[in-house]
Amino acid sequence: MQVVTSLTGAFPRSEALVQATRDLDRGRTTTEAVNELYLRTEAEVAQVEERLGLEPRAGGYLRWQDLFRPFAETWEGFTVGPLTRWFETNQFFRQPVLHAPPARVAGAVANWLPLAGATEVRPRKAILPGPYTFAGLMDNRSGETSEALIHRLGRLLGEEVRDLRAVGYTTFQFQEPLLVNRPPEGPRSEAVVAAYQAIAAAADGSTTAIWTYFGDAGPAWPLLTRLPVSVVGVDLSETDVLQLAPPGERRGLGLGVIDPHTSLVEDPAEIVRLARSIAERQRPTTLWIGSGAPLDLLPWEPAVRKLHGLPAVRQGLAASGGNS
Amino acid sequence: MTDRLFPTQEIGSLMKPRWQLLGQRGEPLDTAAQTDFARWNDRLHFVPGDDPMVRKFLGDRSREVGADTVRDWAALFLLRYLESTGLDRVYDGEARRIEMYEYPVRQMRGFQFVGHVRSFDNKYYLKAAGTGEVRLDHPYHVDEFEFVRDHARATPKLPITGPYTLADWSYNEYYLRRYPGWKGREVRRRAQRDFVVEIAKQAIRPTLAALIEKGCRVIQVDEPAAGTHPEEADIVAEGFNAATEGLDAEFLMHICFSDYRPLFPALLEAKRVHQWAWEFANRDTDGRDGYEILKLFNEYGDTRQIGLGVLDPHRDEVESPERVRDRILRAVKILGDPRRIWVNPDCGLRTRRLEVAYAKLQNMDRGAELARAELAGRAG
Repeated sequence: MQVVTSLTGAFPRSEALVQATRDLDRGRTTTEAVNELYLRTEAEVAQVEERLGLEPRAGGYLRWQDLFRPFAETWEGFTVGPLTRWFETNQFFRQPVLHAPPARVAGAVANWLPLAGATEVRPRKAILPGPYTFAGLMDNRSGETSEALIHRLGRLLGEEVRDLRAVGYTTFQFQEPLLVNRPPEGPRSEAVVAAYQAIAAAADGSTTAIWTYFGDAGPAWPLLTRLPVSVVGVDLSETDVLQLAPPGERRGLGLGVIDPHTSLVEDPAEIVRLARSIAERQRPTTLWIGSGAPLDLLPWEPAVRKLHGLPAVRQGLAASGGNS
Repeated sequence: MTDRLFPTQEIGSLMKPRWQLLGQRGEPLDTAAQTDFARWNDRLHFVPGDDPMVRKFLGDRSREVGADTVRDWAALFLLRYLESTGLDRVYDGEARRIEMYEYPVRQMRGFQFVGHVRSFDNKYYLKAAGTGEVRLDHPYHVDEFEFVRDHARATPKLPITGPYTLADWSYNEYYLRRYPGWKGREVRRRAQRDFVVEIAKQAIRPTLAALIEKGCRVIQVDEPAAGTHPEEADIVAEGFNAATEGLDAEFLMHICFSDYRPLFPALLEAKRVHQWAWEFANRDTDGRDGYEILKLFNEYGDTRQIGLGVLDPHRDEVESPERVRDRILRAVKILGDPRRIWVNPDCGLRTRRLEVAYAKLQNMDRGAELARAELAGRAG
């Protein structure tokens, strides 16, 4: 069993970046100065990843105002809508409003990805919204049914995957909190399967992952085990993974062991004990270890502190049979 | 206390006038700020126009006035502003407050601020972690209340952030650490309960007691976080009960922009809530009936007062008096007893310009009068 530790979503902005972006809104600094700071802070995130052995590298997604904004601002068919609560958190996103069937603008989203120009940083992971969560949280005024939209988004995201592979990304993770927060049923479940089949075809053997959080993965587990991805990630603060039936076919399992809802640092030994017992039952090919929900629910310093235990977790699991 | 039907009240903060923001920072007033100050003072007479300090403020010596005096004037202004719209209960528009989390937490021990978290886009809030036993340094909002008490012509109603919201908006380290092993959902829930109850007992209750000692009779406990975790509604209620244990005042619980259904019936265990001040107008649009949710109170046999939100604070559109009347009468039809109804905006009007908020509040007063006349006509 291979053990991988990696960032699983957006990283918090540093206090310097907080100040700079506030200043930008108040007209006290320039876009150029803030962009420069974004680059420096992305490099800091990359250093944290390197120092702690977190890979594939994600880069932090510091510029993304929310999970959907790069798409809502660059793909055709969308406008950026009202502030909407981001699940049961004190964060908000601007709801994408879809006025016509969406169309991808090639290369537009790639420009938003962290590490976009840093081709020497490898292996790299692109973190993208999952088709079900994307479709479910937008205001769909396009006339297209939810099922058709989910499937269409799967195809469009598949095209993104294909293009990103060409520029060196090797791993593709799809954020799907809605899959466990509000699991699909009936035809919508089948649309989710079809969407991920489209993504899998475009991935052509690259590693793909679905990451779930903000809900218990138990009810959605039968569907999650059907999806053609390399890894399914679940949030251990929400899900009792020991109660989940092992999938019929062995594959990767992601464990969200770091809880960004609290600044309390998790005990690596406790994580190793739990992950070991889960691995014994689930027998995954690969074990991904990271945070449940993205770490941007925390400020920068506590987020970095909470990552510091991951090398010990990796070593602890390697000692019990995993290869880090 | 008023005996008339459908008494009216404000519910939260108002937009700070530009002259206050400039004045507090010691910056000179621009023409627009000077005009705004003079225009409202002509209308409300919140400070004597011939006061030498006012002349300095409106002249080129505004820096000499000082931030404290500017805050006092802002509090007086918003107090008179609210009173002049005909409200039965008022406060100072929270003129002295910047936000509702950081200030209370800074009056307590057992917290450490750990950094900024993004709320959305480039907006952030400073967040603290509970790292030790919660203790109160000193009761807060007391000076603020005394100022309002000494100047108010209508009944003061003090807003205070509730224990559940303070806990929910903080990281819980200390109380979570007390539980050994993996911090799964049930452990986090128990630790959250401990945190909420300790904030309630150790910080909120002594503050409420100090305020009551100073004559505060009506207190609005704000729990905006309650709606974000409906599965913890019982903890919200337990925190409220702990905060108000043995205290004699009229307590309101204000929760806004939530799906209230999942809070029932657990929240109703907040026994000393005298009035539920909730949002209704915001969802009374596009053919939806925003007041339908009131039926749940009937369903669960809860006969307490309702603070009926009739103004949507997120729209510039000024609700007509007739619309306000209709909303009140809709609530009467559902609840049966008109004496249970207080009339207020859904939430604080601070996102609306003061001119817009004023027009809304005036129409709220007129709408309540129309509703009274309608009921009187029916009785006649």
